[in-house]
Amino acid sequence: MKVLIELSLLFVLTLIGEAISSILPFTFPGTLIAMFLLLLLMGLGVIKEEHLSTSASFFSRYMAMFFIPAGVEIIENLEMLKTSWIPLVLISIISLFITFLASAKAVELVEALSCKKKGEEK
Amino acid sequence: MKELITASPLFGIAITIISYTLGLKINRRTGKAIFNPLLIAEILIIAVLIIFKIPFSAYNNGGAIINLFLGPMTAMLAYSIYRERMLVRKHIVAIIAGTVAGSIASIISIILLSHLFGINETLSASLIPKSVTTPIAIAVSASLGGIRSLTVTALLLTGVAGNILAPFMIKLFRVKNRVAQGVAIGTASHVVGTSKALEMGEDIGAISSIALSFSGIVTAIIAILVL
Repeated sequence: MKVLIELSLLFVLTLIGEAISSILPFTFPGTLIAMFLLLLLMGLGVIKEEHLSTSASFFSRYMAMFFIPAGVEIIENLEMLKTSWIPLVLISIISLFITFLASAKAVELVEALSCKKKGEEK
Repeated sequence: MKELITASPLFGIAITIISYTLGLKINRRTGKAIFNPLLIAEILIIAVLIIFKIPFSAYNNGGAIINLFLGPMTAMLAYSIYRERMLVRKHIVAIIAGTVAGSIASIISIILLSHLFGINETLSASLIPKSVTTPIAIAVSASLGGIRSLTVTALLLTGVAGNILAPFMIKLFRVKNRVAQGVAIGTASHVVGTSKALEMGEDIGAISSIALSFSGIVTAIIAILVL
């Protein structure tokens, strides 16, 4: 029964997120609103860790499976991919590396600066 | 007979679960990153659909049901963030810096590379939001005049590549800091990469979850205001 309660909670929250998203004057995904909402409710202590622990461990273990149908949709673009798949793949991969490098190094820079600051304070 | 079986939502659900299970088995047996369970499952399903001439719409009767779980699952990322709240709070400035730098680098690199490869504007508009989470990416792509299904394709490609290549990129760029690893995975390869981050550790997963939502917001703001 615990899993059922957890799933109800999660689906209702997502639904509320979607509802809020639909009345916002700008585009913002309901799922992210639901995420912030859940974070807020957990922060306020309304929802506790144990209220979600069973489904959380299932979802984080098998998360990748839920992306499969969206990926299979590639099959609908095969015609376009036939002519331009090389630049598409190259751009995607190269920019993945650049993005990864930029954000990792920015974090390391900030962390190094704040370490130095703390060192000086001492 | 074939239509009867494949048109049932059960077909799409069954083939997805079976392919993923096979993908996991192959991955465990070989222990190689390139045999990514997600990638294996997708290739298997696409092969079955092509070989047996099953239309995507038939598969998607069941696929859409699995796809539906993406919403609650994204919301569930709050759980990992909450559990690692101390860590997230402690590194919040670094996380913001990393997501902003990464989002800007992503957009600029795609625009420059698009010019370099000479692809048209519709294609490059479809690619620009490819590093962020699906719902934001679709909205950004539409506002830039991109093609939705192409954005989803590039997004999945980036996510799967990020999922497979994350350990390699960490070694290549010598990223020793776990916070930096999490931020980079979430910023560069959204929730698909984050599923890998969660496998690497709950702390990295939590930071990756925060990073993917921040970078989504930053990308949306840049795309709508600047581009």
